[in-house]
Amino acid sequence: MLIADSNFLIPNSTLVVELVAFLIVLGVIGKFVLPFLKEKLDERADLIKGELAAADEAKADATAADEDRKAALEEARHQAREIVAQANRTAEQVRTDAQSNGHSEYERILGNAENEVALARQRAVDEAANRMGEIVMDVAERVIGREVDAEAHRDLIDEAVEALRADAAGGAAAGSGVRQ
Amino acid sequence: MSIFGGLVPLMNPATEISVGEHVKGTLFGGTLDMDTVWATAAAVVVVCLLAIALRRQMTSGVPGRLQAAWEMGIGALTKQVEGSIGPKGQAVIPLAASLFVFIFVCNIFTVVGLGSKYEWLSAPNSDINLPLAMSLFVIILVHMASIRARGPVGYVKHYLTQPFPIFLLPFNLFINLVEEIAKPITLALRLFGNLLSGTLMLSLIAFLGVWKLGAVPIGNVLVLIVNPVWKVFDLAIGGIQAFIFALLTILYFDVAMSTEHGDGHDHDVDLIHSTPEAALST
Repeated sequence: MLIADSNFLIPNSTLVVELVAFLIVLGVIGKFVLPFLKEKLDERADLIKGELAAADEAKADATAADEDRKAALEEARHQAREIVAQANRTAEQVRTDAQSNGHSEYERILGNAENEVALARQRAVDEAANRMGEIVMDVAERVIGREVDAEAHRDLIDEAVEALRADAAGGAAAGSGVRQ
Repeated sequence: MSIFGGLVPLMNPATEISVGEHVKGTLFGGTLDMDTVWATAAAVVVVCLLAIALRRQMTSGVPGRLQAAWEMGIGALTKQVEGSIGPKGQAVIPLAASLFVFIFVCNIFTVVGLGSKYEWLSAPNSDINLPLAMSLFVIILVHMASIRARGPVGYVKHYLTQPFPIFLLPFNLFINLVEEIAKPITLALRLFGNLLSGTLMLSLIAFLGVWKLGAVPIGNVLVLIVNPVWKVFDLAIGGIQAFIFALLTILYFDVAMSTEHGDGHDHDVDLIHSTPEAALST
């Protein structure tokens, strides 16, 4: 006891009390703190894990939605291109039809006009031929000073008229060629 | 000599510089250092209050400051244990955590010390009884873990065949015995020496109070300046020593539970014969 009292490096009965005190602390921390701390840490880890999984899911959903949106956009663009192409084809068709119709109408009007011209020319030629016979006969009567029998010189008159017609027909053909 | 005129003898700083003197009491015929017992009881109460406060605010959501500090400390300890011992070292975590928390709380008491012969709340680790009690407890558990890990035969064989071949058996036994006896002593003395020197420094600083320049109590002014500076330094020492004690406990368990020859023994030699700083880098 004397040594223990004089030397501070020699332990005494306090050691037992200190050991008990430490065991109390060990018990409190080992049984009362650490298991619950670990439990809470595990719970938080699970919570974070769950939230991360939810975040991944949300990200996957967002990616899928983005893919859908892109697909819809692409579909819309495709449809728009189709519509424009269809419109272009329709316009071309309309233009071609209109051109075709116009051309045929032109041809029809031109044909009608040519027919009318030919008819008018024929009528003019016929009239001129009729009038020419009379004029020729009238001139001949004046030249020769007597009445000329038209029936007696019918063949001559007809020949002249035919020549005139042929001449007129040749002129008409020439006129048509120039127009074309 | 006293700066307070000797009115309050028990908290009267620097009446004399005492080394390791305690208020004595007896229990069942044994001598007790009552100031150490009282301070230790206060530390136990503080730890229990900390534990209760932690339990009350413990949540799996966003942790408060106290819980975050505990989680950080336990996380660092777990990492250290898993890094050195591996998964089988989980059982060491409560011990290491208790050692760190208890020693740290005890060491904080140096802050309220005035440097008097008997402090109201002395640092319990400046009494050899607490560090020795903890180190003996740790070393006994280390040996139990070693027997469990190696088996009784392997445990004995380890001391006879390491570090040299079997024909140097007596030499092996001798240096291993020295090593194992040195372990609890060094573990206890390292902590005790640091804390005792801290309290001695407080006494020396308080002793400055007797210095007067004529009628000017220049020593008292110096005490007011130097004492807080030293206490900040002492707090850091207390934290570091708590950490070293817990870390060395883990490393002793690591060595004791390693079944590979050679590897574990190198650890042993390093820890015993090197400085705490070198041991920390092991």
